[in-house]
Amino acid sequence: MDLAAMMSAWSPYHPPTAPVSMRSSIVVIAVVTILSGCSSKEGPQSAGATGGTMIYAAPADAIDLFPPYVSDLIGRIVQDLVYERLAEIGPALQTIGDKGFAPLLAKSWTWAPDSLSIAFALDPQARFHDGKPVTASDVRYSFKVFSDPKVGSPTAPLLTNIDSVSVRDSLTPVVWFKKRTPEQFYDVAYQLIIMPEHAFGSIPPEQLHTSEITRKPIGTGRFRFVKWDAGTRLELIADTANYRGRAKLDRLIITPVAPAAAATQVLSGQADFMDIFPLDQAPKLDSSAAARPLVRPQASYAFMGMNQFDPKAKKNAHPIFSDVRVRRALSMSVDRVGMLRNVFGGMGRLAHGPFPMVFSYGDSTLRIPAFDTAAARSLLDSAGWKVGTGGIRVKNGRPLRFTLLVPSSSVPRLRYGVLLQDQFRKLGVQVDLDQLDPGAMQARVQGYDFDALVGGYTPDPSPSGTKQNWSTAGIGPTGQNYLRYSNHAVDALLDSATSSFDPVKLKSYSSAAFQRIIDDAPAIWLYDFVVVSAVNRRITTAPMRVDEWWANLADWSIPADKRIDRDRIGLTPVKR
Amino acid sequence: MRRLFVARLAQSLIVVLIVTTISFFVIRSAPGDPFSYDAPNVTPAIREHWRAQFGYDRPLPEQFARYVTSAAHGQLGYSFQLHEDVSTALAQAIPRTLLLTGVSLGLSFILGLVIGVAQAVRRGRWFDRLSSGVLMLLYSLPDFWGALMVLLVFAYWWPILPAGNIVDQVLHDYMSPWQAFIDRVRHLVLPVASLTLLTMAGISRYQRAAMLEVLPSDFIRTARAKGLPERQIIWRHAFRTALTPMVTMLGLLLPALLGGALFVEKVFSWPGMGWLAANAIAARDYDLVTAIVIVGSIMVVIGNVLADLLHVAIDPRIRE
Repeated sequence: MDLAAMMSAWSPYHPPTAPVSMRSSIVVIAVVTILSGCSSKEGPQSAGATGGTMIYAAPADAIDLFPPYVSDLIGRIVQDLVYERLAEIGPALQTIGDKGFAPLLAKSWTWAPDSLSIAFALDPQARFHDGKPVTASDVRYSFKVFSDPKVGSPTAPLLTNIDSVSVRDSLTPVVWFKKRTPEQFYDVAYQLIIMPEHAFGSIPPEQLHTSEITRKPIGTGRFRFVKWDAGTRLELIADTANYRGRAKLDRLIITPVAPAAAATQVLSGQADFMDIFPLDQAPKLDSSAAARPLVRPQASYAFMGMNQFDPKAKKNAHPIFSDVRVRRALSMSVDRVGMLRNVFGGMGRLAHGPFPMVFSYGDSTLRIPAFDTAAARSLLDSAGWKVGTGGIRVKNGRPLRFTLLVPSSSVPRLRYGVLLQDQFRKLGVQVDLDQLDPGAMQARVQGYDFDALVGGYTPDPSPSGTKQNWSTAGIGPTGQNYLRYSNHAVDALLDSATSSFDPVKLKSYSSAAFQRIIDDAPAIWLYDFVVVSAVNRRITTAPMRVDEWWANLADWSIPADKRIDRDRIGLTPVKR
Repeated sequence: MRRLFVARLAQSLIVVLIVTTISFFVIRSAPGDPFSYDAPNVTPAIREHWRAQFGYDRPLPEQFARYVTSAAHGQLGYSFQLHEDVSTALAQAIPRTLLLTGVSLGLSFILGLVIGVAQAVRRGRWFDRLSSGVLMLLYSLPDFWGALMVLLVFAYWWPILPAGNIVDQVLHDYMSPWQAFIDRVRHLVLPVASLTLLTMAGISRYQRAAMLEVLPSDFIRTARAKGLPERQIIWRHAFRTALTPMVTMLGLLLPALLGGALFVEKVFSWPGMGWLAANAIAARDYDLVTAIVIVGSIMVVIGNVLADLLHVAIDPRIRE
């Protein structure tokens, strides 16, 4: 930017009419130069339909960039932009069969007559960013790494139905399954990321977690990795020779920024995107000249979960929550709609059960215990919890009192904790709030060391994700059913849902399972996640998928007439 | 002098060892570990596998013995959060923090001393009263709140300076050396201002008190009786004498500045030791936290030793 133009635009400094001393002049020039910033040198200019730089003020740095280990948000974003899958799940996130899936690395696929194998025809144009072609051997290698117990990938349990991958020819990997299931295509197409064997194949599996080379992803996506200054900055650029066409933006800079500074950076135009803008400051976006709001429903839901077992003697039933009448009474005593309005204003979405509504199996018609404090009181009375001295209910000398864990990192959940505490108090229930940082909370949750918690789940688009959280099979080290809720009728219904090839039946079985869970009330369903993102007004976004806002980031663009200095740096095209 | 130096060095070594041991056990006693971050698809079994992979399932004394052995060989461990050796991470972060705290320390001392002297000379007058009130307000502000206010005013309400980071994330690499220098200075202004404002307030309070003790002294009265100019009396005689206790402050200020840097770096996303420490503690990045504590304690010890030596150098009574 031209310095003089910038100065005249906002600078409080005006040229003096009277002579000033040399020392004063030097000081004033130095101050004005520092405050006004500095113009950039001319780089390779960017013009036309493609170009521009987007700075993403991220909530954290990436934890891992090697796909088998990726489990954090930033790691997933980089993984999904740099690497590719065989096929891409469609915007409806349909997981049964291959309906809705679009070709990616595989141009097409052929099912075996018995449906126990699928032969994928790789796109012969597909190249890794180092110029090497993608081969069937890379697909076989990727499966081997993901499923190797020595690697310890969190994705491995999701690939257990894949028996092996064989190489028919250099462009035809054949994926063999152990059994025919409705989601076998989804398992391989959505969960398996294709990595270059020639780059990573020589590293022993047990060294992959700390190997320097796995910090430098080499994929086939429309963005390519440039560098990662851990804790400071991660840079991706458009792969200008990509077989599917280059990304429209030239450059994506991911920089971890503390929330207060991130909001300021987005509002002042220093950064271009923030995925979770502070809710209490969201109205500022409406009047901001730099950024605009994007309200995005999420594939996550929040709840107040009740541990079914005693946190102190973990094999014993919980002295309070093992009684379904108490759980239902607590559910009926809270004004979910009022709390939603209190925390989110007009932007919140009520949860309808153990699922996010954005998925195809979501069902808003299920019967949730109604808000009825009189009925809640009667239910507690009938369960033997009578109001004692001080207004707290007591049964056999034990007060109706428990601890509620809330993560200090989530403002909505903290607020919900306080609101729940207040509403339970009116019922004669004493709640002690325990605010914990995410690491401490995870440790307590994984050790089942809690009475109740305000938690959130982000399941897969498939109902099989629900099994991890709410079925008996999800209890223990290989699952995530931390409330240790168990109902064999629910297990059977979820099994039926996940083995159904008919989407209508799948939804019907899922709904029946969800209704049973709701009736058992192991949790109070609070809200479906809705976030407000902030994006710079010069950026044109593409349709966003509910599970991944970045899924179509390669199609985000900055019109030529809206570009600023950092958009005009340009890129030197890659020759392949 | 040499005996004093050797004795202080030996004491310092013991202090660093004790601090290392305490930090090693304290961070590992906190709930959670490097693999307890919130990730929907990571099951407890996978987390257990990773813990075993990196030896975090071993008894704590065994882990400590391994750590001490490695540290003695100059290997401070591996950072899970940054995916690099801890020594590499520290090598990048330490100069950034030294720059921030160094500039801030220098400015704090210059401004604090000048203001303190001016207050003492004008004791009881409007300048003294007004500046004392303002400085007391600054002194009582929490570090992070002061930093947030500075951020709000100069990066949002009146957006003339960048809101965080160490340089422009995109254009810095394309700037000429002069432009790159200016860019660095612009990014330095707000964090330095935050740290300086808070530190300066304390220094000026001490300097004012020290000057008020010195000004009624006999040698000042003698200097006035000899007809020396007031400016010379203040700056050559009173100021130099009042400076001696401030040297001790220098040693004490270093830990305070490092503590302040933790908040200021976090608010301004300044990737120095404070930023690293805040993130490492949240992520339970054991080796990184321990190494930061070691380096921090070494820096504090060096500051104290330097203060002692300076004290000896400028005060002949101690030398004797």
